[in-house]
Amino acid sequence: MVHALEIIHTLLEPNGCLIDIHPNGPPMPIEACLAGQFHRLGYLQETDDFIEYGQASAALGEVIQRGLFVVEGQGKFIFITRAGSVDELHTFLTENWSDSIFPAEVDLQARELSLSTGQISSAQLTVETLIARMRKISQV
Amino acid sequence: MTVSQDLDQNEIKALFEITGDLSGKRMLEIGCGDGRLTWRYASQAAQVIAIDSDLEKVSRARQNLPSDLRERVSFHALGLEEYVDQHPPREQANKFDLVLLAWSL
Repeated sequence: MVHALEIIHTLLEPNGCLIDIHPNGPPMPIEACLAGQFHRLGYLQETDDFIEYGQASAALGEVIQRGLFVVEGQGKFIFITRAGSVDELHTFLTENWSDSIFPAEVDLQARELSLSTGQISSAQLTVETLIARMRKISQV
Repeated sequence: MTVSQDLDQNEIKALFEITGDLSGKRMLEIGCGDGRLTWRYASQAAQVIAIDSDLEKVSRARQNLPSDLRERVSFHALGLEEYVDQHPPREQANKFDLVLLAWSL
């Protein structure tokens, strides 16, 4: 990751900026919507237990400490992925989030919820996400 | 229902808020995937080069590229190191005002 940031430093104009967007890590709740109300089914997991998000933050910290970049702005936002059903969300995440694990308990909870309460109208995953702007510091 | 992402537009709002005015800017997006985010900011920038090592996703991005963006956006099925090998940063033409690492560090 640090090597990638070093390459990016060479690609930027002298006053250029790097914008980084990455998840803030867990928890990433999966919810089902029934009759306009959201019900928590469980949480998305990852095969590496979300270790890469901490590594990404550490790599950014290292290049800042080394004087390659300076942080000019940062923030957080909520990123939601919404599907028509829990199955559809499960399939989408399997195809598009390569190291995600959709816990079996989520599917089970969804089935139990449908049986007891009614038909699920949508399902969603919520991810708190970090965004930062870092300006390149040209080496003297 | 198809799967939708960022219906509340939190991501694109946060991006524009942190980048400021993109007009005249030359941008490189690393890890563009199928271009989901690229479409949403590219019309504001002067030029966007978007790369991703996943050929299938890049092919989808090229197919779905809106016609009004064809002159300013190009997709390359390359990882960062491959891209740099082919477009050495020592050449001024290969420099960027902004590099966007979208969910890809």
